[in-house]
Amino acid sequence: MKKYFVLLILIIFSAQILSGCWGSQELNTLGIVTVTGFDIENDEVVATFEVIKLNPSSGSSNSDDSTKAKYVQTRGKTIFEAVRNENLKFDRRIYLSHNQIYIFGEEFAKKGLTNYMDFLQRDHECRETAYLLVSKGGKAYEVMGFSPGAEDLQGIYIGDMMKNSKFTSKLVAINISEYFRNYYDAGIQPVIGTVEKKEKKYEKDMELKNKDKYELSVEGGAVFNREKLVGYLNGEETRGYNFVRDKVYNAIIEFPSISTGTDSISIPTPKVGGTINTNKDSQIKEYTVVEIAKSKTKNDVEIQDGKLVLKTNVNVKGTVGEELGNIEISQEKGVYLIEEACSNEIKRQIEKVFSKAQKEYKTDIFGYGILFHRKYPKEWEKIKDDWNDVFSDAEFKVNVKTEILRTGLVNTPSNRIRGE
Amino acid sequence: MISKKIEENKKLILNSFQNSSDLIHYEFEAGDYTKILIFYIEGFIDRNLLDRDIVKPLIHNKENKDIKKIISISSLSEVGEIDEVINEITDGNVAIFFDGKTTAYLANLKNWEKRSIQEAQAEAVVRGPKEGFVEDISSNRNLLRKKIKSNNLVFEDYTLGKQTNTKVSIAYINGIVNEDVLNEVRKRINNIGTDAILESGYIEQYIEDNKVSILSTIGNTQKPDVVAGKILEGRVAIFCDGSPHVLTVPKLFLENIQTSEDYYIRPHFASFLRFIRMLSLVLTIILPGFYVALQLFHQEMIPTVLLVSMAESREGVPFPTAIEAFLMIIMLELIKESGVRLPKAVGSAVSIVGALVLGQAAVQARIVSAPMVIVVAVTAIAEFTVPPLTELLILYRLIILFLGAFAGLYGVTCGLVVLIVHGLSLKSFGVSYGYPISPRDKEGLKDFIIRFPLCSFIFRPKAIEKTNMVRNIKPREK
Repeated sequence: MKKYFVLLILIIFSAQILSGCWGSQELNTLGIVTVTGFDIENDEVVATFEVIKLNPSSGSSNSDDSTKAKYVQTRGKTIFEAVRNENLKFDRRIYLSHNQIYIFGEEFAKKGLTNYMDFLQRDHECRETAYLLVSKGGKAYEVMGFSPGAEDLQGIYIGDMMKNSKFTSKLVAINISEYFRNYYDAGIQPVIGTVEKKEKKYEKDMELKNKDKYELSVEGGAVFNREKLVGYLNGEETRGYNFVRDKVYNAIIEFPSISTGTDSISIPTPKVGGTINTNKDSQIKEYTVVEIAKSKTKNDVEIQDGKLVLKTNVNVKGTVGEELGNIEISQEKGVYLIEEACSNEIKRQIEKVFSKAQKEYKTDIFGYGILFHRKYPKEWEKIKDDWNDVFSDAEFKVNVKTEILRTGLVNTPSNRIRGE
Repeated sequence: MISKKIEENKKLILNSFQNSSDLIHYEFEAGDYTKILIFYIEGFIDRNLLDRDIVKPLIHNKENKDIKKIISISSLSEVGEIDEVINEITDGNVAIFFDGKTTAYLANLKNWEKRSIQEAQAEAVVRGPKEGFVEDISSNRNLLRKKIKSNNLVFEDYTLGKQTNTKVSIAYINGIVNEDVLNEVRKRINNIGTDAILESGYIEQYIEDNKVSILSTIGNTQKPDVVAGKILEGRVAIFCDGSPHVLTVPKLFLENIQTSEDYYIRPHFASFLRFIRMLSLVLTIILPGFYVALQLFHQEMIPTVLLVSMAESREGVPFPTAIEAFLMIIMLELIKESGVRLPKAVGSAVSIVGALVLGQAAVQARIVSAPMVIVVAVTAIAEFTVPPLTELLILYRLIILFLGAFAGLYGVTCGLVVLIVHGLSLKSFGVSYGYPISPRDKEGLKDFIIRFPLCSFIFRPKAIEKTNMVRNIKPREK
């Protein structure tokens, strides 16, 4: 009796955690989608799908001219209808579980992203981890249809770029669930990624070999006020935004080198077989680059004398990645100078994006409202409906501290030494 | 009863054998003119010994009345029952009747054909003794006695099968054996009422705990060192004449992933090998079902790139995935079965054809997809790492495949749950099959997937051993 009871419990338990859908579907009846684009034309949703075209593997290596993807475009009053109408045009049922990227046309985003997005949340096939992007200055289907990267499939190509966002922090990689988390909260407004089609401006000879005349760029971010697109951030502003949101991992910060002249700190270490080159061409701009190893941001809000003060503390740990100026890094003082300059640069970037959000867009994209809600719940109830106005009038204090952990393999900048 | 008249005895025995042509009888007169009658089965005995040690002394004897002084054979015995004489004749003894005596003499001159001791093919080892049991029970018992040179090693003989009169003997170590198990074995063996025991497999099926279970609760081995190891843990071994497979009871699930070599090599690698066996045990049961379930129900669980390559290989394959998997598994079993049954010379040809047909031609002709070939090949390879469970694995793999094809991972999980719960509920001669997991025993876990160093095996398995627990005294306690 007891063992049947245990068996029953186990079966019920496994039914909870592993409930597969009843009703199987063979792989070769599915059209696996990797990118979906949504536009609005004449109050109709235009959906564009990139469907993987399956080339039967013949054992030998695939020929180069075989295309990896097919494109289907359908219309409907809603997204779901557009998705279903695909069956009238294409021989395989759309399968959205492997869709990594949703691209929205600019017009769609301006009219309001969430007007039509219920399906993407409700349907079991749609992944909540799919990235959201806005096609900057155009339709979604305009940026689709080609993959200039190493991957043949645009979905994997863009998805990989999103995953590599930590190396630059100049883009916003945000997925559906994060977007809705920000959207539902009055204390923060969402910023999502952008994708832009650009004409290639190089490789004149290469163009013959490479059929793609265009390339894609995912730099920057799109600022939303509630569901509506209000504007864009460029790459540097996006990085400032990522600093405040504590989403910077491995970015590099580049800033002009501290001009030292005959400063006492630039005492060069004589090296065997080389002289110190002091007559440097002043035309060349000198930069220092710090690679961030670890960045930690703490935000805070405070009411001081009836005025709202927003505080951001950034702690950056990094290594010297490049030094084109005239700083002797073996000196402790030189390192301090780099730390200070790096802090100032990060501070400048943060302040720039902050003033843009405050003055131009009047939108709290950083989530200070959430902190305010936590700290002053009673006051929040009064102002939550016009939090963005309160945010726009608030004072902003940013404090950046940089710590250089390592200085790389050489002490003297390489352009300071000339061979005899 | 043995008659005083030699003619009557002769008639009686010849009648009982229905004048079978391999029964030889020889009549002669001794030196003192007593009539003597000899019976034996042709080919069972050493004829030279018979002539030299029985016939010749009897013919030359004139004065001695004591038979034991004439016939110088240590195994000579005297019996008074005709039935026993008949039984002993069939067992390879020489029966000697004297005119005017109501007893007959039996001389053991057995010398029948038997296979020499060879390596146990099915349980090959790299390190460790290679010798394996043969069909002859006395040789097998000798092999075991050579491993355990102790007066505590006891053999108990039984004769089973009304027609075959097969000699069966159980072996155990007095003082270590679990008495409950021993009594249970005696009881169950005595309950066997069949008329034929041709192999130890017969005994296994008669004394099993759960005769409908897919899991076997009786172990078998062909290697004397394995039997020695098992009875030293308190188990009972059952030898059956005519079979090189010796049964050991009780059997735990754990024994399926143990080999004798695990104890001969050092613990690190032994543990790794056990992990590999456990892994392949899981793989070989669930892999085809799991793969089919993923392909049919849970495409979202497969990484995109892998899904693309799987889908590409499915393009143009006419059968549904489940049928495809079923076809491949059946093909695999076909090749395996024909490889076992065919003569060795033809077997290699079959395996080449099988490999080519299955591996290449089927994929190129788009009858099956390439990943399916890989999946089935992996299951086939994995299956051979746990030979004691082969029967279960092949059958249950098909069940899991069926469940996976109809209900996805839910079905696979249910199938596994049923198997595990059933396995844990089994008992082998009163001992839980799932020991040391259920009931959990910390000492027993030392010899589970991770084999601890031999010196840490202080106690015998608690589930089997009841009285003499300590098998290894720590050096400092000496």
